[in-house]
Amino acid sequence: MIAYDIFQMLVFPGILFLFCLAFLYEWIDRKLFARVQSRYGPLYTGPSGILQPLADFIKLLAKEDIVPAACDRHLFMWVPIIYAVLPLTALFIIPVAAQTGLVAFEGDLIFLVFLFALTTIVVFLAGWSSMNRFSIIGGVRSALQMLGFEIPLGLAIIGMAIAAQSLSISEIVRWQSGNWWGIWLQPIGFAVIMICILAELEYVPFDIPEAETEIVAGWQTEFGGRRLALFRLGKDLETVLVSALVAALYLGGPQQLGFLPPVAGFLIKSVAVLALLSFARALFARFRIDQMVSGMWTYLLPLAILQIVLIQFGIGR
Amino acid sequence: MSYGSTIKVPFGPQHPALKEPEHFLFEVDGDTVVSVKPRIGYVYRGMEKAFELRTYHQNMYLAERICGICSHAHTTCYAQAVEELLGSEIPPRAKYIRVIIAELERLHSHSLWVGIAAHEVGFDTLFMYVWRDREAVMDLLEAISGNRVNYAMNTIGGVRRDLNDEAVQKIRGVLDRFEKNVKGYSEIIGKEQTFVKRTRGVGVLKPRDAVSLCAVGPTLRASGIKSDVRLDDPYAAYDEIPFNVITDDGCDVFGRTVVRCGEMLESINIIRHALDHMPGGKLKVSVSRTVPPNETVSRVEAPRGELMHYAKSNGTTKPERYRVRSPTLANLAAVCQTLVGVHLADIPIILAGIDPCFSCMDRLAFVDRRGGAWSCTAEELGGGRGQ
Repeated sequence: MIAYDIFQMLVFPGILFLFCLAFLYEWIDRKLFARVQSRYGPLYTGPSGILQPLADFIKLLAKEDIVPAACDRHLFMWVPIIYAVLPLTALFIIPVAAQTGLVAFEGDLIFLVFLFALTTIVVFLAGWSSMNRFSIIGGVRSALQMLGFEIPLGLAIIGMAIAAQSLSISEIVRWQSGNWWGIWLQPIGFAVIMICILAELEYVPFDIPEAETEIVAGWQTEFGGRRLALFRLGKDLETVLVSALVAALYLGGPQQLGFLPPVAGFLIKSVAVLALLSFARALFARFRIDQMVSGMWTYLLPLAILQIVLIQFGIGR
Repeated sequence: MSYGSTIKVPFGPQHPALKEPEHFLFEVDGDTVVSVKPRIGYVYRGMEKAFELRTYHQNMYLAERICGICSHAHTTCYAQAVEELLGSEIPPRAKYIRVIIAELERLHSHSLWVGIAAHEVGFDTLFMYVWRDREAVMDLLEAISGNRVNYAMNTIGGVRRDLNDEAVQKIRGVLDRFEKNVKGYSEIIGKEQTFVKRTRGVGVLKPRDAVSLCAVGPTLRASGIKSDVRLDDPYAAYDEIPFNVITDDGCDVFGRTVVRCGEMLESINIIRHALDHMPGGKLKVSVSRTVPPNETVSRVEAPRGELMHYAKSNGTTKPERYRVRSPTLANLAAVCQTLVGVHLADIPIILAGIDPCFSCMDRLAFVDRRGGAWSCTAEELGGGRGQ
């Protein structure tokens, strides 16, 4: 039994499976994004370039490791590792292969919101520790951006918890299997959470903290080699995390679809969310940080509150 | 919002927003630019001195390579200057071919700019689409002239290649498709709220400032001033072709986008008219290798604005003095003025808004001679020849 637990932790649906998913999702995202832009995207490594994210990762691992003289050494070393580990930790509590996550307890939804906030703080620290003008501006922008999207994101997540009468993600997934999916019950909440995770992932129109033409690579500017590889892995895992979260909260999570196992249901749903994200990020120009924050507070927050009020009146539960 | 102290943010010589090396030092208070110091001269290539060392015909190759985008504008300007010095008139067919190539060049230069502007505000999808369609024009120029960038169509006294019926058909086909696409993109640019939010009211250049700071080209026309060398001082066949000068009263980056999109559509009409009314006849007249002593100024409306060449001959086969004033230099003072008071995030799109071409602009490298004055005498510069 312990052997099976370890297998679950390390291989399926644990670390190895999630790493593979991370690279696969990056490829899907890049390919779709490229096709929307009338490009080919990754093409040569593996069939249709499917191994390109892995190849990029390995190449970055082999690169020279440069630590700027002026940076805060300890923070600079630890930040990439923490950034990669945080979404991995969060993925353990999200149901992937069955209706229960690897780790499930009452209140894990709150833990997840905490991890999201922690990710942004790590990003801020990454910018701060580099002691580079562009990095610091990027870090500050990322913290400012969090002020904009975190409250609507929290409200959108809580909406489903109120409906399912539980603060456990696994419980919300189970509740949906006997009920309508969250997307039909709370469409406003779904729209709000999609916009918020665009901001969480720093995708266009919210790629303000790493705006290439303005501040080079933003908070990532000074990171290279294996540190950058870890950041990229962390970003991919975060992509898996948010698409899995939306699939779990609003699309019913891993369910038996006909003869397909629950994990297939999970893959189909989360890839659908991912496709929506890739499509959305090809359609816009980048907002300025002040436009982003004020837009979030004037439009998105009232919408999120409206959804909660509707639930209180018994609509959408 | 003021923090009392300012930080200095360098922009360039290496920066993703700048495609060429040039340095701008911004003094930033919080998120607001307080002052800008441009430092130009990173891509000084000694062009003008090189002009003096080569014969007039060899200089054609040099003029072609002043700019990588508007190479035809520079050769037209150069050829016009030398033809003026020689007192020779080029055949009418050559004039029309010069117009057609110049307008095709404007098409690909403006679509390049629209793509870059979209990229600067993070709208990469538009960038990819516009540049994909720009390829059709580049391929067309290759089919006509044999080259995508340095077409080498001009020569002193006319043009080097003819446009046959096949080429004319090809141009018409490409123009039809391109017109449809440009109209689509203009519509997207006007409707897409994220793009409008990032460009409208950004980088405002008041008409009075535009004139007093000597802005040129689309930057000036976007401030509502109707000024175009093609209309004010017609060269080649522009006096025979009817066209509108596109202006906009926005005075901002959005206005500059609207003007450039409008100019693309206008260029398409100019090319169509020129193809319809192209006279037959010779392509060039033969000219003498030596040029009588004289001096002249030649002006051309390059895609980026008014381009000015000055030539002084001394009766030999080489010019005595040659000077190129590219549109970017004229627009630099204006853009530095508009940059004061803007958000840090708006710097790239405002800088890109003038369609800068720094390599064309850089003429003289300033060397900080410690303790010495920042001026040189004519003797030091030209070995006692020039003024």
